Amino acid sequence: MSLMGDLKPVVRLFLAERRGMLAGGLACAALTILAGMALLGISGWFITATALAGLSTATAVMFDVFAPAAAIRLLAIGRTGARYGERLTTHDAALTLLAGLRERLFRGWAQPGAARALEARPARLLFRLTADIDALDSLYLRLAVPLAAAVAALLATGIALGLMEPRLGLAVAGVLAVAWLGLPLLAALPARRPARRRAHGVETLRADVIDLVAGQAELAMAGRLPAQQAVLAASDAAVAMADDALNRMEVRTAFGFGAAGALALAGTLVGVAALMEHGVIGAPVAALGVLVPLAALEPFAAFRRGALELGRTLLAVRRIGPRLREAAPAARPALPSPGLAARLSGVEVRHAGRAVPAVQGIDLDVAAGSRVALVGPSGAGKSTLLALLAGEIAPSAGTAEALAATLLTQRTQLFHDTIADNLRLAAPTAGEERLWQVLEEVGLAAAIRALPSALETPMGEAGLGLSGGQGRRLAVARLLLRDTPLWLLDEPTDGLDARTARHLLDRVGVAAEGRTLVIATHIRREADLADRLVVVEDGRIVRVWARGEAGFAATLAALRAD
Amino acid sequence: MGAPSIRLERETAAPPRADAPPSKRARSRATGRAPSRAGQGTPRGVKMGGLLQALATLIWLPQAALIAFSIDHLANGAGVEAILPAAAGVLALGLVRAALESVGARLAFRAARRELSQLRAEAGRALAARSPLDAGRVASGAAASALAEQAESVVPYRSRFMPARMRMALVPPVILAAILPFSWVPALLLVVAAPLIPLFMALVGWRAKAASEQQMVEVGGMNAFLLDRLRGLATIRALDAVDLTASRLKANALAVKARTMAVLRIAFLSSAVLELFSALGVAMVAVYVGFHLLGELTFGAWGARLTLGEGLFILMLAPAFFEPLRDYAAAWHDRASGRAAFEGLEALSGAGMALPGADHVLRADASPVPSDARPEGALDVRLTGVGFAHAGRDAPVLQNLDLVVRAGERVAVMGPSGAGKSTLLALLAGLAPATGDIHLGGTRLGAATAGALRARIGFIGQAPHVFAGTLGGNITLGRPGFGDAALAAAITRAALPRGAEAHSSVGEGGIGFSGGEVRRLAVARAALDPRVGLILADEPTAHLDAQTAREVSAALLAFAEERTLIVATHDPALAARMDRVIRLGGGA
Repeated sequence: MSLMGDLKPVVRLFLAERRGMLAGGLACAALTILAGMALLGISGWFITATALAGLSTATAVMFDVFAPAAAIRLLAIGRTGARYGERLTTHDAALTLLAGLRERLFRGWAQPGAARALEARPARLLFRLTADIDALDSLYLRLAVPLAAAVAALLATGIALGLMEPRLGLAVAGVLAVAWLGLPLLAALPARRPARRRAHGVETLRADVIDLVAGQAELAMAGRLPAQQAVLAASDAAVAMADDALNRMEVRTAFGFGAAGALALAGTLVGVAALMEHGVIGAPVAALGVLVPLAALEPFAAFRRGALELGRTLLAVRRIGPRLREAAPAARPALPSPGLAARLSGVEVRHAGRAVPAVQGIDLDVAAGSRVALVGPSGAGKSTLLALLAGEIAPSAGTAEALAATLLTQRTQLFHDTIADNLRLAAPTAGEERLWQVLEEVGLAAAIRALPSALETPMGEAGLGLSGGQGRRLAVARLLLRDTPLWLLDEPTDGLDARTARHLLDRVGVAAEGRTLVIATHIRREADLADRLVVVEDGRIVRVWARGEAGFAATLAALRAD
Repeated sequence: MGAPSIRLERETAAPPRADAPPSKRARSRATGRAPSRAGQGTPRGVKMGGLLQALATLIWLPQAALIAFSIDHLANGAGVEAILPAAAGVLALGLVRAALESVGARLAFRAARRELSQLRAEAGRALAARSPLDAGRVASGAAASALAEQAESVVPYRSRFMPARMRMALVPPVILAAILPFSWVPALLLVVAAPLIPLFMALVGWRAKAASEQQMVEVGGMNAFLLDRLRGLATIRALDAVDLTASRLKANALAVKARTMAVLRIAFLSSAVLELFSALGVAMVAVYVGFHLLGELTFGAWGARLTLGEGLFILMLAPAFFEPLRDYAAAWHDRASGRAAFEGLEALSGAGMALPGADHVLRADASPVPSDARPEGALDVRLTGVGFAHAGRDAPVLQNLDLVVRAGERVAVMGPSGAGKSTLLALLAGLAPATGDIHLGGTRLGAATAGALRARIGFIGQAPHVFAGTLGGNITLGRPGFGDAALAAAITRAALPRGAEAHSSVGEGGIGFSGGEVRRLAVARAALDPRVGLILADEPTAHLDAQTAREVSAALLAFAEERTLIVATHDPALAARMDRVIRLGGGA
């Protein structure tokens, strides 16, 4: 995938949000530097002119002091205003961008394929995502804004000196353009590698620390704690090397800046002296000519730093860009023929990078209104079958058909939000009465009524504040709010004590009247809810027992008791 | 070049406070609580580098003088040739200045980077030396953030903020001293404007600071909101709530933006104040010098009259006077995040319950195992008056426990949750300091013996950690002296499923591994070294389906032949296969 291809959605996002604000920020930045240059230039001109006029009393009286003095004060105040405006507009624009970016990123990650990748490496990807979002905003604030100011400063220098003598303007502006714009860009290219290595190095360091802390007991038992310290030190040394390379480049560029600045200053001095000698300009204009490029340096230091971070920014673009593209709406499974809730025929699923298919040769009809339990050891492929029915994954061979379904995931996932909003995720329009009703059904109403703000009580991150059992009840309450004809339950009561589990299963059984249930389980009490047991082993359906058949009771008895 | 240079700050204008210069504050903090490392022990290289950079800034003085007096000459009718030496001087000084600045920047950076490496090594050592049973231990994610990305801020704090602070202390006084001999009025103007800056900034800042802290929290909250929802993506998709969540995310972000901007409107006033005073300072100096040269304001120049060159010289020094102040304000963010980094690292190094024998163990690496390592026999276990309590909690987890397990015996420890089963196993493994005496194979478990004894214990924890890397690496954990044959034997002994190959890679935190596979991996880890004489297994069959539980138990019992086995479990089926059951809790 090309860099330009990834950059495009990012730029499009930038342009779609607050185009005027973005441009306004750039204009304010340019205005600030121009006011600064004019302030110093006119001050120099004013002092020199007054000195010449002051030589004789006659000219001193004639000299109009008020216009330049007023201009100097106006510029001082104007510069302050422009700076304030710049800070406000650029930050407003950047924050608006970030708001749009977050929404788009969420939608991007919510695509089925991306969602699965996220599930496989959550900590690493989520950590990366925040780092990348931070790196992306430097594209505008640290690169575009200083660049606009730098270009304005260059143009103003070129024009001011060019008005005195075109060749002088061209020469000075040329030296500055090459050195001040060219050097950072030149540095940005080789800086890309160390910047990338650095970003990866910090990630490695992070993983090393997690291994050290979370795996400390294992490392201690194996006598490998000192070895893990060495690993940590080696990762830090790798980051240090990249840091050092970046710093060397930054310092070298800064030296180039300083040298070019000195050259431009000395050159301008000689240039205006030559012009004066030829009588083209007077001393006041000469002073202005020397002071204008002096004040032009301001935006370049910021631009220099932004350019050196380009490598990190581009890495963020490359990782985030693909998630910003408009994705085709996910294909839901086709509807099965009437009388069926789901049908899998000849289905095979291969996960990327796995030699053995997760499931293969699956043929299964689920009649509407029936209750089916998928049983078998962990890793047999039960969750994969549920994901197929939910439309989360597509079969690599065969066809999957299912009615609209709701999946109760194996892990309880609650959100940093109020209890009501956690519930309304399942039914955005549900009234309070309906919420209380389902809470009553799962036996949570009393506990929630006792909370300080009842339904509006905010929960901590990942549902902190509720016990594991209460959290599971809330997840089941959410299921009860979903009016879909097919409910898919993945180990709905694993990890709950027997009493809570039986109560929840009873409630689900009652609420599922008129719906179809498919339950993936290895626990007896859950399988007991079904009227058909589908035994899954090594990715294949090996037997199917209907309630009443001899094998049904035997299979049930072999499952784990409470 | 001495022109004013303002760095665009990304941060939300946290202004320096007038109340205390940083050095004084560091001292005053010391009275309250332990002084932060940030306030003490600045590396020498940083000081040297800062000094060189300040020196480089001061080279602007002779440069400005050369330019100013050249223009004076020109105005008095001199030709190009007359000012050529001055122009050459400006160029040469500029090169020296750039060189000094580069050397200073490198010095400061290298010293700061070395300090970061040291701090990381110290924090890593502290983490390794702390008992895994210590309840106050920092969680792995938080430790990783503090030691990896947050710690990075040490470098800009040392290499950018500290030199900026030195420049602010050194450069403005020298500039004042250079202006004063010519005229006291501009010097006075600058002296009056300079302290007004921190004063006004403080006035605006005390409100902005609180507001900007709150705003940081909100932006952090916005990130947390996104991460929280992404973490629960499976559920959001299952509930068909992607659109709903996406629009809430955006509405939330925009609301945060609106509140943030309200804060920034105030916070940016502080940078506007800085801007206004430095621009007005330059303007007032220019206007004074202009009127003075015109003859309208005759006072100020010690009775004499300024020349054009002197006037221009003063003008050019005025922006240079304010530049260090601006740099300092721009580096303020580096200070805040640098201090946070030091505090984060200190929290990792905080004292806690030590891992027994950590000092001995961390000094040297494990000695290589001879390639023909053989079983060295079962260890017997003798506990006399053993107890354990978490710091700051009254009720001990274990108290006055006496227990003897014969060599080769297989024992199940049972009891309700919280009875201390896991704690007992961890104490036996030497993972936390116990009161009383523990003897393993006749050797008393203590600081000097813990390392060697641990090498003879196979430990299967309740939630084994899966390391990033390969399956083989996860079993050997890099222990030297175990070749492919030993690895293959361990894989077979633990009955890891077919297709599990030593070189296949393992997902983050064992994702893609089922609960059963993780337990088997832990058995393989314990079974790698044949010298193991005592196996400690904590709930090896919890949450497994019946068939997997049977297989894991079988693998464990097979390896326990000729060894002592102690299992903490709730599983009656597993307990039934042991020689003896010990009940903890109620009345042990």
